[in-house]
Amino acid sequence: MGGVSVGLVLVSHSARLADGLRELIEQVAQGRVPIAVAAGAAEDSLGTNALAIQEAVESLAGGDGVVVLLDLGSAVLSAETALEELAPALRDRVRMADAPFVEGAVAAAVESSLGSDLEAVLAAAQSARGQEKLA
Amino acid sequence: MTGAESVSAELTVEHEHGLHLRPAAEFVRLAARFTSRVEVVNLTRGGGRRADARSLLQVTALGVNAGHVVRLTATGDDAPAALDALTALIRSGFVTEA
Repeated sequence: MGGVSVGLVLVSHSARLADGLRELIEQVAQGRVPIAVAAGAAEDSLGTNALAIQEAVESLAGGDGVVVLLDLGSAVLSAETALEELAPALRDRVRMADAPFVEGAVAAAVESSLGSDLEAVLAAAQSARGQEKLA
Repeated sequence: MTGAESVSAELTVEHEHGLHLRPAAEFVRLAARFTSRVEVVNLTRGGGRRADARSLLQVTALGVNAGHVVRLTATGDDAPAALDALTALIRSGFVTEA
């Protein structure tokens, strides 16, 4: 592994949900994937916070790009607000994944752990959309 | 694709957790080192569904538990090497070097 990897930001209305997903994907990322969480609103209430999302993305600015995963569609507005606040050079290396939260994050973590680039990690996350669970 | 070689093997997954998340991630990472396409089928259960060995979600959805038999089929220029490596990983109980 030469350089750094594509980072993942987990955006959730619930801190416990995001922390649980982080625990899960660390099982497959093997310490090779930078992960940041932006979850919950003020005073431990449920919700999303644009500033927290912005800071989470910025904390991974040293990597090869950032893929943002959202738990629900109602997180999109906060995430878009956060991305608008980023410096343009960083903003160009951030992608929001249109993907299920758990499967998308797991697939993205494995892809990033391979050293794949930003578009490949985004594609892996979004490939989860059509994945059936039951045989 | 001319002359693409296709090789396959059937083996039992002995790992106590089967091809669940962590072992499946090791499997997918190893498969990604080869250019050949590798398909995985759970012969014990799974109704003939095929998984791309490069997709963790597809591999975990095969529901491979301890004692299940899988068939790996590798197709491509490095198919024999890919098949050897992946079958060795399964037989090793998913112990990998860095």
